Amino acid sequence: MSISTRTPPVIGGRRRRAGARLFRTRLPTHPMAWWVWALGLAAAASRTTNPLLLLLLVAVAAFVVAARRPMTTWARGFRAYLIFGLVVVALRTVFHIVLGGGYGETVLVWLPEIVLPEWSAGIRIGGAVTAEGLASAVYDGMRLATLLVCVGAAVTLADPRRLLKSLPGALYEAGLVVVVAVSMAPALIESAVRVRRARQLRGTSARGFRAFRSIAMPVLDQALGRAVALAAAMDARGYGRVGSLTVGARRTSAALLLAGLLGLCLAGYGLLDAATPGSVAVPALVVGVAASVIGLVVGSRRMVRSRYRPDRFDLRSALVAVCGLAIAALFVLTEMRGDSVSHPSTFPLVWPQLALLPLVGIAIAALPGIASTPVEPPASETVRGSAENLAVSAITAKGISAR
Amino acid sequence: MSLARTSTASAGQFIAGRDPRPVRIGAKSATALVVATVFGIGAFGWPLLVSRDSGIAHGLDAPLIFGAMLLLVVAVVLALLADGGMDAKAVAMLGVLAAIGAALRPLGAGTAGVEPLFFILILGGRAFGPGFGFVQGATTLFASALLTGGVGPWLPFQMLGAAWIGLGAGLLPAVRGRREVALLCAYAAMACLLYGFVMNLSFWPFGLGPTTSVSFVPGDAVVDNLTRFAAFSFSTSLGWDLGRAITVTILVALTAAPVLRALRRAGRKAAFDPVVTFEPNS
Repeated sequence: MSISTRTPPVIGGRRRRAGARLFRTRLPTHPMAWWVWALGLAAAASRTTNPLLLLLLVAVAAFVVAARRPMTTWARGFRAYLIFGLVVVALRTVFHIVLGGGYGETVLVWLPEIVLPEWSAGIRIGGAVTAEGLASAVYDGMRLATLLVCVGAAVTLADPRRLLKSLPGALYEAGLVVVVAVSMAPALIESAVRVRRARQLRGTSARGFRAFRSIAMPVLDQALGRAVALAAAMDARGYGRVGSLTVGARRTSAALLLAGLLGLCLAGYGLLDAATPGSVAVPALVVGVAASVIGLVVGSRRMVRSRYRPDRFDLRSALVAVCGLAIAALFVLTEMRGDSVSHPSTFPLVWPQLALLPLVGIAIAALPGIASTPVEPPASETVRGSAENLAVSAITAKGISAR
Repeated sequence: MSLARTSTASAGQFIAGRDPRPVRIGAKSATALVVATVFGIGAFGWPLLVSRDSGIAHGLDAPLIFGAMLLLVVAVVLALLADGGMDAKAVAMLGVLAAIGAALRPLGAGTAGVEPLFFILILGGRAFGPGFGFVQGATTLFASALLTGGVGPWLPFQMLGAAWIGLGAGLLPAVRGRREVALLCAYAAMACLLYGFVMNLSFWPFGLGPTTSVSFVPGDAVVDNLTRFAAFSFSTSLGWDLGRAITVTILVALTAAPVLRALRRAGRKAAFDPVVTFEPNS
């Protein structure tokens, strides 16, 4: 069903060496592995307010991103997430200074205070700014910023557009809509530029809303015409071939999906209400997730499709994912063992401590920066392929130099 | 070998003057939409519903857990809607409208409150029905997040919020002419304000932290939490939300008639309703 051009098929006696080959071949890390790793890092960040640990987490994310970032324009966005994180910390600090809650006793500055009437539910503006309150606001802001940086690392390392390829068949249509949208948006801007140039050539000089309308409507009409043409092309190429799903399987899939939804709904409200014993929310969550996922997998047989260059989940990818899970587990363990390392006291304000357990976690999380498959420069893609490709690229190179 | 046949009996006939329904909502997807909406109310309104002793009332847990669950819920609803029938024409139309929305998004990112994305979403949902509007909302937000790098824990919430807006636009009563434009304007203003309000509500504890006097207090009286939330909204995002509501309403008022005409013409050209089936020629 799926055809891969990355690895030659394993035949006969060479099969026993498959394990060794998995480590030797240079399969790119699976995007899902990067997401598991980054979400593990995010989970670790959500379990601590220790600023030293949070800074180390950001450093790990930045190190792995710097080492394993693919060479695409998409991958330049990590810096934006770092800046966004700084903005979050700054905003939190400003909010705390202006609308602080009067927590702590080491007063740094007195701001003029505006007293609000009784009904304002204890809201105060201005007043004392304390070291304890400020530290607590900054710690909490840093935790949120670290979380954002972890998501940014996942987005940078694993292009979410590659993840779309691994979507189950039941979500094929929705994924296809996103792919069409992402690839057509630049064409729309180009179309707008073309219409505008045509208007200028005709000497039209309308401004303001009239100009907007005389550009936007032709662009919209063109785009809609393109949609009808695209649909015809997809139909002509056999899109939407309904797979071999029996009526029974379809009903099973729908029933599982609906049961999963109900389970998730029940679990959501169970989690909100502590009066419901934990024994209701957690099983409902497990059943809901399991039923939804199985329903999606069963429903996936609705579609028959082949994948070009499917992403493979090899041992190196598994290692990356395990590193993420390990740091999350070690940080949860640290939180359970005692409060002072995970959540350093801000009242009284003390210097945050470090411990061996979370440091081991940090070291493990940094491992993918060295152990995962290195990223190849994009140019080698054509060179590394088959002999024909090599010949073709040699010929092209010659042609260029001859000219 | 095979013979194309247009069956009009099974999938609803083309009735002149009625809007086409490229994404049909059957009994299964209707149930799924209702359950997802009930879940969404809990996920967005959790700061008002959570009890003091709940394990997720503190820290960053609630938005993350609810975000992950929401992603699964939206995926399940999309799978059920697709199973009900989404042909190449619907996919292509959705893709193009989502592309327009995603291309409009950067125009609004820098300037205060201008969010032109919602206007094409409302008009798309209006022209092609509630099921189409739901899928359009979810996919537009996802595609624009991919294009602008706005992927984050807030994305599942934005997807469901926008999907609701598209769904609601498709469910509005069938009127035509000036009354339709007026109806859409009123809906646009209300939907934009509500969207800003619920997005704010779900991320209020997350964005502000527990250390200020307008912060979320888990399990406090609903009125007290609402007062603090109103103060927070007023001081941060009210200008933004009002600006968005006003610009989207003006855009709808000025462009609803020609854009709807173009969409409906494209819908007629695509002929969504008749279903073509292939049968062996015996």
